[in-house]
Amino acid sequence: MSTYGLKKESLPDFVAALARFGEVHGPTVTDDGVPVFRAINTAAELQLDYRRTLLPPKKYLLPSTETLLAFSTGKGYRIPAVPDQTIILFGLHPCDLAGIAYLDRVFLGDEPDPHYKSRRERTVLVGVTCEQDEFCFCDASAFPSSVGGDIFMTDTPEGYHLAASSPRGAEILAGIPMLTSTSPLPPAATESTPLLEIIEKCTARGETFSDSPLWQEFADRCLSCGACSLCCPTCYCFDVREYGLLDGKSAERIREWDNCLFKVHGVVAGGYNFRQTRAERFQYRFSHKYLGFGPLRGVVSCVGCGRCREVCPVRIDLLELFQESP
Amino acid sequence: MNRQNDSTLPVSGRIAAITPMTADTRYYRIERLYRTASWGTFTPGQFFQISIPGGGEFPATPTCIPQKNGALEFCVRNVGHVTAMLQAADVGDQVGIRGPFGTGFPVFEMRDRDILLLAGGLGIAPLHSLLAHLLEHRSDYGDITLMYGAREPGQILFREELAQLACRQDIRIMLTVDFLTENLPGELTCNVGLLPALLKGVQFQPANTYVAVCGPPPLYRCLVEELAAAGFPDRQILFSLERRMQCGTGRCSHCAIGLHLCCMDGPVFRWQTLRQIEGAL
Repeated sequence: MSTYGLKKESLPDFVAALARFGEVHGPTVTDDGVPVFRAINTAAELQLDYRRTLLPPKKYLLPSTETLLAFSTGKGYRIPAVPDQTIILFGLHPCDLAGIAYLDRVFLGDEPDPHYKSRRERTVLVGVTCEQDEFCFCDASAFPSSVGGDIFMTDTPEGYHLAASSPRGAEILAGIPMLTSTSPLPPAATESTPLLEIIEKCTARGETFSDSPLWQEFADRCLSCGACSLCCPTCYCFDVREYGLLDGKSAERIREWDNCLFKVHGVVAGGYNFRQTRAERFQYRFSHKYLGFGPLRGVVSCVGCGRCREVCPVRIDLLELFQESP
Repeated sequence: MNRQNDSTLPVSGRIAAITPMTADTRYYRIERLYRTASWGTFTPGQFFQISIPGGGEFPATPTCIPQKNGALEFCVRNVGHVTAMLQAADVGDQVGIRGPFGTGFPVFEMRDRDILLLAGGLGIAPLHSLLAHLLEHRSDYGDITLMYGAREPGQILFREELAQLACRQDIRIMLTVDFLTENLPGELTCNVGLLPALLKGVQFQPANTYVAVCGPPPLYRCLVEELAAAGFPDRQILFSLERRMQCGTGRCSHCAIGLHLCCMDGPVFRWQTLRQIEGAL
């Protein structure tokens, strides 16, 4: 695919040019000092050297609360329209691109989820290289080619190197005259991080660490706050609820982020709970994250972004399980 | 309207009939108002999602076999806020239907074999669908035995139908209640005691028998050892499990059993699959 060069001082012009294709959202810092993805007006608001945002970009594709269906007497249930504004998600790290690629597998599989699909179709993903810190552990060098997205920006001493990674990305880049064509970057040497290698080895043999005393240690400390899965780019559990509206003739069905660390997650009709203890709920989370459920069995969904390790108020780190492993 | 995509969009239906079965359990016949891709087809043991406008959805397995007019029959106990709203509904009221979802009983594989159905309480509902299938294709199957346990005589569902079936020569019906609080109305006779005790008194040819079990979790836990000890092969012991299926499409992630999703890989599982999964039953 086509590749271009971009001088660092031209970044504001590039962002302005992108804004012709949709509303640009990128990493910024709120007045409270929280790194977030949100709409920007100028490139000056961008914090491209950010470590990670508090919430991952899944919020654009799977909002924390979303109306699934609208019911009205006589018409029955129907799927409400989603706003058709195109959003350019600018400055995503490779781990977040990988997170979206995983959500695509979940929601765009055999029978695509209509809500996710329509949001995804009007989202353009622009990735950027990043620096690792003490929390994250992805294999960044292997990512850009494998995680999709539409455009990927590599930060080099000479400026940004832009590569289209989808036909949509190529179309957008070709439509921005200020860019200069360059030759593709040589493929980066792929080197796996030690932790990633251990995770791969353990998950390949279906390791559940069922005898580990760590489960009980985690359970004793855990507050069931659920922060680890709220901030996870690949956690997508949702709860479905329906509310009657005050006119007595219509109703709204919503889905809302759910959390497998919450006690009610395993409750069935009549009140029996299949995951009564915190240790069981941790094991459920571990199984989903590292071993995969149903059609995605065998697919590791942890992308190494490090958010869960950073936000846990009692410093629980499921990766300790792997670190103990031979 | 609402003709396609019945996996995410409920198809409008109306309640065509309601029959009280016990104090908290009713039988419903629901007619779908529009044809869907899966119109009239499902395997016994698969489930549907029933929507009560303003209340939400609950998963339920039909008690019937597919019908030409697409009608579905369910046996629903009032156990939560949505089923309570259904209980307050009248004939003619509008509901929504999605499905079928999941994997049902392997009815083709079960052909030419003897069949043992073990139902506890409301667990008779999905097994009633399987039983209806077996009777519809009676000559395809070997001996059929239904063992059904309920708490007390008044809690036995499908009483009249069971009384009729008990008169047939080609099916064996055995009932048991935990407590004999009253005399059983009608023609039925039943034992007093738990299902495992009932099972012990009967001879089977385990290698040639498929066992289908549905009931509350404690029933599974005490039956499974009996069944394994009696020599039924693991892959021929079928459990219909309950979990909180919300989406039916493998996404909401409430219903995983080990790494299997109850809404796709189940709700009918073989003991062969479940025996390795801690907490499955």
